[in-house]
Amino acid sequence: MNIEVMIYVYGAVCVSMIMFNFVYNMMLKWSVPRMKRRREKFERMVMLQLSEIRRSGEIDPRHAAVLRRKLCHVNDLMAFHMVINEGDAGKSELAETYLRQIRPAILYLALVYRDKANDKAGYFTYFLSNYTAGRQMPVDSLQDILLEYVRKENLYCRFNALKVLYHMANPEYVVRAIKIADDGNVFMHNKLITEGLLSYSGDHGQLISQLWSEFSGFSNHMKLAILNYIRFCSGDYKEEMYAIMTDRAENIELRLSAIRYLGKYYYGPARDDLIGFVLDGDMSRWEYATVAASSLASYPGQEVVDALKEALHSGNWYVRYSASQSLEHHNVDYSDILDITAGNDRYAREMMMYRLESRKLQSAEV
Amino acid sequence: MMDAYKQFFEYVGVFFILYMIGYASFLFLAVTVGSSMLYQMKRRNRLKSELLGEYYVPVTIVVPAYNEEVTIEASIRSLLALEYKLYEIVIVDDGSKDNTSKVVCEAFNMKAISRPIQRKVPCQPEEAVYESYEWKVPITLIRKKNGGKADALNMGINASKYPYFICMDADSVLQYDSLEKIVRPVLEDSRVVAVGGVVRPCNGAEIKNGRVVSYHMPKKIIPSMQVLEYDRSFLAARILFDRFNGSIIISGAFGLFKKNVVIDAGGYDASTMGEDMELVVKMHAYCRENGIPYRIRYATDAVCWTQVPEKMKDLCKQRRRWHIGLFQSMVMHRRMFINHKYGLVGMVSYLYFLIYELLSPYIEVFGILTVALAFWVDLINVPFMILFYVTYVVYSAILSLTAFFARVHTIDMKLTFSDFVKAIVLCLVEVSCLRMILAWIRTTALFGYKKKKHSWGRIERKQIQFK
Repeated sequence: MNIEVMIYVYGAVCVSMIMFNFVYNMMLKWSVPRMKRRREKFERMVMLQLSEIRRSGEIDPRHAAVLRRKLCHVNDLMAFHMVINEGDAGKSELAETYLRQIRPAILYLALVYRDKANDKAGYFTYFLSNYTAGRQMPVDSLQDILLEYVRKENLYCRFNALKVLYHMANPEYVVRAIKIADDGNVFMHNKLITEGLLSYSGDHGQLISQLWSEFSGFSNHMKLAILNYIRFCSGDYKEEMYAIMTDRAENIELRLSAIRYLGKYYYGPARDDLIGFVLDGDMSRWEYATVAASSLASYPGQEVVDALKEALHSGNWYVRYSASQSLEHHNVDYSDILDITAGNDRYAREMMMYRLESRKLQSAEV
Repeated sequence: MMDAYKQFFEYVGVFFILYMIGYASFLFLAVTVGSSMLYQMKRRNRLKSELLGEYYVPVTIVVPAYNEEVTIEASIRSLLALEYKLYEIVIVDDGSKDNTSKVVCEAFNMKAISRPIQRKVPCQPEEAVYESYEWKVPITLIRKKNGGKADALNMGINASKYPYFICMDADSVLQYDSLEKIVRPVLEDSRVVAVGGVVRPCNGAEIKNGRVVSYHMPKKIIPSMQVLEYDRSFLAARILFDRFNGSIIISGAFGLFKKNVVIDAGGYDASTMGEDMELVVKMHAYCRENGIPYRIRYATDAVCWTQVPEKMKDLCKQRRRWHIGLFQSMVMHRRMFINHKYGLVGMVSYLYFLIYELLSPYIEVFGILTVALAFWVDLINVPFMILFYVTYVVYSAILSLTAFFARVHTIDMKLTFSDFVKAIVLCLVEVSCLRMILAWIRTTALFGYKKKKHSWGRIERKQIQFK
């Protein structure tokens, strides 16, 4: 290729880049007043409807039609969202009536956005998650549509749709949504699932019971999120957790989660098993020993203290660390662990002394 | 003799044409992809395509410090102002000769404690450990025997309690939402083992509680040119490499790492000057050799503000150090060179860094010497040479400006008219002058580098004005 031609081609590319930058900047500048105008328009519309409700108790049916037509455009939806989110419109009882009366329009929009690109669908679910926050409205048809959103292979869309369901759905729908989200097509961190379930606005007891009845059908990844959720919410599953903990064929993460659960909620029959984990000399099972040592913090008794003191001599650093933390919880004093502090095992001594010093420091400062 | 010269110049000409085509195309691709990704991100944010909410991954912030008595307190205070809940701060004083430890102890009421630290990665022994629990998050200070930055970071890893750690420089400041942003890729993809943050020069910015309240191009010329250079070279190129999991640099000033992978890979190598690059290359190699699915990501919205050198002497020192680090990392992992076993990291990233980063100063200096020789034997087409040079300068300058404006527009920064003009003028100067000077500095960087391989490479620090 002639070198000059190439230089000109690159030059042309540069000029187009500068043009693009310039045009984009202009568009950004114009988009702000445009959005402001849109918002003001919606603000006027909403205010008019609030007076209408005050006067007649109902919104003008034409308003719902306007919303159905206009809010199909994502920019208008954003402007409307701002109005109901930031303005006075979303705060009073009158506004609550307004938001309740526009539900059919929202339902219609849910169908429209379901078939739009993922980012727009994602924004609609974000809007819905705000719209439904603090408002239980288990409308079956909307819940069914939301399951379609959860099915979309886009993390944000799925995440926002789940959020809406946590706000408004009944337990059965939440469980169905969780099952869909567990399809393995989109990675969803178990923290997102656990935190999401914790934000459920309905009855946690019912939700846990429904999740538990379907438990075996979930992937290990999802099971872990559910176990963690149960740990934060309910102490009624000790027997079930004990069964998981003692099942040698079960996934290690699930067993560890069960051990943590039994550390949070005291369950007498689990004590010997926990001690067994701690005293297990097989270093390949150090994770069980570490978590069990932490869990034993809530199990009183000399036998437990002796096991933890024994664990201080473990060859594994984490086991020693957990054991020393639990001993600290048992309120052992320097005199109780004289055999450790005056003993020959430097590692055990250092770890225990550190925990005791640390306790002193924390109690002095916090 | 003249025929030999002609033959030589012909070969050199062909080489440089190919070299420049490669570079221009790469730069074009990097800036185009980088800018479009930034615009895309802005659109995504506008449409709330992000994980909004409080999802905290536990993170340890490791701050290695050496003779940082001037800046360390402000840095830690800025870390305490971060809008994140689950983190701890571990400061590692690498045997400072000044009062770094004393300043930290007094400012944060640290108490000495006999804490055992497990050696998961090798490092010099600790001399004293201090802890404090009276702040928003636990603070630990470890004073240890001097061993270099990598060694200090290894100590930080050993002392960290959480599964992820962040490395940062003691003279840098994290933006208020930077932790939240840098952990997002971890929540989005289970394979993520490291995330690089964006490092921006804070010279010229006023930062209050981790928020930029006003932004101007720096007053001085050298930092201003670095602002443009950072956007072009670092931001754009790293976004491009991120597209194919090919990032082989995460700046030592701000990066998040999965601790167990770093430990399994061997931690930071204390024998190199470019410990940040070496670690990332090593993680690529470790994960690929062991068949571990992994991703190394770049978070364009996780921002760390850092002081860039304001004096030419300091800038030269910094670049010399970077170049030596680059050389050491590339030599250490030379088996990756065009090795399909390492995928695009070996085939593209390594090759790019070899040709356009490691060898580029030598090639550029060789080019200048060839031009001088051509003058001497009167075998140069002067008008064409000038045209070619001007094209190169304008082309590079436009790409720099594109990256710069893309960044400015997408994060809603407001520039004054004088900043605008300054950016245009200085990007021409940067491409035509500073680049040449730095090429020479990098060319000479490897002379006698072994003597200073454990040095921290100090640059002059100012008290950071973070309110």
